[in-house]
Amino acid sequence: MSTEYGIALGMIETRGLVPAIEAADAMTKAAEVRLVSRDFVGGGYVTIMVRGETGAVNAAVRAGADACERVGDGLVAAHIIARPHNELEPIMDMSTSTTRG
Amino acid sequence: MSTEYGIALGMIETRGLVPAIEAADAMTKAAEVRLVSREFVGGGYVTILVRGETGAVNAAVRAGADACERVGDGLVAAHIIARPHNEVEQVVSNAAKA
Repeated sequence: MSTEYGIALGMIETRGLVPAIEAADAMTKAAEVRLVSRDFVGGGYVTIMVRGETGAVNAAVRAGADACERVGDGLVAAHIIARPHNELEPIMDMSTSTTRG
Repeated sequence: MSTEYGIALGMIETRGLVPAIEAADAMTKAAEVRLVSREFVGGGYVTILVRGETGAVNAAVRAGADACERVGDGLVAAHIIARPHNEVEQVVSNAAKA
């Protein structure tokens, strides 16, 4: 079992890049989380993913959702998975590689 | 990148490229800021990112937002982060790379 397994995942999806960056900033300032990816989903949707302890991810996603609501076309979705299944890791790696590639 | 840490970030998002270019022009003319990226977000959204001193970025974003409102489908969002967290740098620099 990898050390990464079970580490909580937080996701925020916005319409447009500006609210996404605002959310990323608010999330990293609110709690001890790592930004793992930023994806252009298409149709103007942008998704930011963070990993960290469940409590930290919870606090970060709430802060991020609050912050980006007021910016531009705002929030589409804010969601937390406390303990993502191992099978999901490749999907998250995929989005990470597209972000950092 | 360490010297750039904490330097203010200004963002303008528009519907269409023409207002984005108008905003970029107004921003660089209004204050001492550097254009760091122009991003095609998808769905017709275009985002312009600038960096500089907080005051300069503030003035630039206000001028840019004013200028592009009257052009095409206009403004979606204008926003300033005075001191972006270090983690956010990767999002910004990735945007610059893409």
